Amino acid sequence: MKKFVNDPAKFVPEMLEGIFLANEGKLKYEPKYNLIYRADRPSKNHVSVIQGSGSGHEPAHVMTVGPGMLDAASPGNVFAAPPMEYCLECIKLMNSPKGVLVLINNYQGDRMNWDMAIEMAEAEGINVKSFIIDDDVAVQNSSYTVGRRGVAGNFFVMKACGAAAEKGTSLEALLELAKKVNANVRSMGVALTSCTPPAKGKPIFEIGDDEMEVGVGIHGEPGRRRDKMKSADAIVDEIYDAVAKDLPFKSGDRVALMINGLGGTPPSELYVLYRKAALRAKAGGLNIVRNYVGNYCTSLEMAGCSLTLLKLDKELEELLAAPADIAVRVF
Amino acid sequence: MKEITLADVETAVRTVAATALKNEQYFCELDSYAGDADFGVSLASGFRAIEQEWQALDHSSIGALLLKISMVISKNVGGCSGPIWGTAFMRAGALSKDRTTITLDDLDKMLTAAIEGIQKRGGAQLGDKTLLDSLIPIRDLVHEHAAKPDANPSEVLRLATAVANEAIERTKPWVAKRGRQQFTGDRSKDTPDPGIVAIATMMNDLCTQFGVANRGPGKN
Repeated sequence: MKKFVNDPAKFVPEMLEGIFLANEGKLKYEPKYNLIYRADRPSKNHVSVIQGSGSGHEPAHVMTVGPGMLDAASPGNVFAAPPMEYCLECIKLMNSPKGVLVLINNYQGDRMNWDMAIEMAEAEGINVKSFIIDDDVAVQNSSYTVGRRGVAGNFFVMKACGAAAEKGTSLEALLELAKKVNANVRSMGVALTSCTPPAKGKPIFEIGDDEMEVGVGIHGEPGRRRDKMKSADAIVDEIYDAVAKDLPFKSGDRVALMINGLGGTPPSELYVLYRKAALRAKAGGLNIVRNYVGNYCTSLEMAGCSLTLLKLDKELEELLAAPADIAVRVF
Repeated sequence: MKEITLADVETAVRTVAATALKNEQYFCELDSYAGDADFGVSLASGFRAIEQEWQALDHSSIGALLLKISMVISKNVGGCSGPIWGTAFMRAGALSKDRTTITLDDLDKMLTAAIEGIQKRGGAQLGDKTLLDSLIPIRDLVHEHAAKPDANPSEVLRLATAVANEAIERTKPWVAKRGRQQFTGDRSKDTPDPGIVAIATMMNDLCTQFGVANRGPGKN
């Protein structure tokens, strides 16, 4: 696998330095702890909204730092949660009298490192709360429950909470908002190829030219089923049904519809997928108020997609429509 | 009864560090069957940092050393391995502060504290196919021998290594219920758990280092 890499061990720091150099004046970079943060945060009038997980999901989360989205991000190595100390330093750096909100995707490593860091930050008197995002319907019937995974739906939690925090919303109200978004968002993904973390140099799993992985997670981990490749429409039909029936979404609902690329699928194919998803949503009586087609939460260069539906209300519609100024202008 | 000295603990830590470094790729391969293939890298990054900072660590007591090791891990290891191994060293270190020798009874209590710490942090229980399915039987064995007046740490190491080796095959058919492996459901069936293999590989290397004969099926 050919990649643009200097030293695999420096892959993440060099990406972060690139993000910093592309946003000088707006963002700051603390190389010691892999932190990218807003130059104008923390602020005594605003809750700081932060997130950190493994790298390799860009633009999530480190490229979504900026006014109206995240105030700071603390990425770990590719597909590995950030070490506890990075999380703790991120909380301390973003300490505000209004509090700190940590958004965590539901993965064991992310939860454990952030849980430890939050305990230590609280011991230092910092007002910090966390919220776990778990929008993936792929593992819903699994008996292996620490629950569902957090996937592309995290974008809507970040966007809504970031926009609300910008308006001066309290930590308690932001937590309620995060709960509301998470309760109304559902996702599921399909992978057509594997992906290769630079430090490993080999694909994370093998998959045949005629196969697809249904229900894949965003860390390259295998999904719930290996199947023969199908047409774009047939794939959308399966994941749309799984997502729409889960909430369930009902005729008359106002929704945001996202077709997220996993990194290696071109925009043309994503729009072929969006076409079918939009037709299905319309046929089901859903009113697509906002749509998102592109790479939001990826697995390096994996070819694949995920479909996310978010049920909206007036508050969420306004928050999604609010401006966000981030390193990658996906909104 | 023969005691375990600070020098023994130092040798043991450097031995398992060497195990983690030389098996980095192998542990990643094991993690790729049902996990996300980063276990070897995570473990090696922590033990590599311990090796690099070895001289600067606090070597005044067993507990002081273990607590410093916990801090190095918390700083350098992300993923699931950082909190799990960091917590284990922290709990064990907290019980051996200011001690330059420990008995098997102390080791029993330190292992118990480490196991409880791992359970609190990750929520795993016996039977979830995690490294606890190796550590808990090892602790039980240490506990059993700690009560014997003629117990010998070398003999306990030999027997504990057999327990660690046996845990690999015993748990192999199980379905993982914790960590990223849980998400792949039945795919974790019939693949050895990387954490359980790592414990066994470390135990086998400890036997070699301390000159204890063992008949284990470890990789090396």
